[in-house]
Amino acid sequence: MRPIDPRLHQALDGDIPPETLAPALRRDAESLEAAVALLAAAPVAESVERRVMAAVRRPARSAGRRLLRWAIRPHSVVLSMRPVWSLALVAGILLLAVLPSPEDGPQLGAEEGIAQFVGRFPGARSVHVVGSFNDWKPVSIPLEDRDHDGVWQAVAVLPTGTHEYMFVVDGERWVVDPLAGRFVEDGFGRVNSVLIVRPLPR
Amino acid sequence: MRLPLLLLCAASSLGGQSVSARLEGRVPAANIPTIDSLVAVAGAQGLPTEPLIQKAIEGGAKHVSGERIVQAVALNLEQLRQAQALLVRAGDAPPVTDAEVTAVASGLKRGLTAPMVERIVIALPDQPRSSAFHAVADLVAHRFNADSSMDLIITAAREGVRGPRLLDVSGAAIQEMQRGHTRAEALARVRAALPNVPAAPAPAQSAVQAARRPTTTEPKP
Repeated sequence: MRPIDPRLHQALDGDIPPETLAPALRRDAESLEAAVALLAAAPVAESVERRVMAAVRRPARSAGRRLLRWAIRPHSVVLSMRPVWSLALVAGILLLAVLPSPEDGPQLGAEEGIAQFVGRFPGARSVHVVGSFNDWKPVSIPLEDRDHDGVWQAVAVLPTGTHEYMFVVDGERWVVDPLAGRFVEDGFGRVNSVLIVRPLPR
Repeated sequence: MRLPLLLLCAASSLGGQSVSARLEGRVPAANIPTIDSLVAVAGAQGLPTEPLIQKAIEGGAKHVSGERIVQAVALNLEQLRQAQALLVRAGDAPPVTDAEVTAVASGLKRGLTAPMVERIVIALPDQPRSSAFHAVADLVAHRFNADSSMDLIITAAREGVRGPRLLDVSGAAIQEMQRGHTRAEALARVRAALPNVPAAPAPAQSAVQAARRPTTTEPKP
């Protein structure tokens, strides 16, 4: 660092007029005065305190912006797990994926089809369909009348092929299905309805 | 020589036990041995036995007397025998399939005649004919002309309509009649459209989802 000439100090302090200085010193004095003028013209920087207080006073971000900010920021998640429970969870998920839900309906075999039974029996307390597909057991396929309009119906999974059947109303009255379209003598002095169950198209 | 005979006796005895077990509680006990023997005769003659068992159970469910049940089973046995004989006479070599014997026996009760069965067997020698018998019987039962009905079903089979789709052919003719056409017109219209006949409507998805298998347990009283 170059030491400052004492006469330059005196001139900058106003103790002696600058004109009395030697030309080299006078140039130094002019440079220093120009530098001082530049510093005086520079804008005053905000203090740290002012900047902190400005940040504190800034209005809070909206909930949406905070959510967005949370969503796009990386977060670290710590996952601790017990292998037994984890395996059970995986097995459960796989079972749910593989097993059919009740809403899917029954899984039909190649030798099975769907049969719909509908009959109008106003005032009946119960209606069942019995036939060669259920060993003529009077209770195995109940018909339902959910809206109580006298129209009873059931949908059943049955073996494909030809079947004879009848409706049993209130557990005692045997009635032929008039909508069957096929009828055959039953050998007991009555007539059975005939149903041909076909496999569902796949 | 003794071993096969013993095995045959054992198998027959086991079969008889299973028939008796199915009839127990469903048919008057006194008539079970007679029905059992009728079923055994059917089995020995290569006839389907299930229709006979079903007929006996049906009679029991309808509270028919034991004697009447035996008569009905014997009549059914005779009808199955007649159906088998018809199929063999028309050209089928025994053993004839159970499905065809049952279809012919059912058809004979619904208006099919022996010459009609023979004609179908001769016309369709190389394919399952159960559906053809049912289709012709459906038409005859609806009083369509027998010859024209057979012509329609045989023509459909020759044009590639096979198996249960033949029931769509007879169904289409019955529908045309129900729409107001004469029976002759209905047959002609379906014949003109062959082999394109509308398929039977598939059950709605909701119906399939609601379908349940028959329950096997009796409800508690």
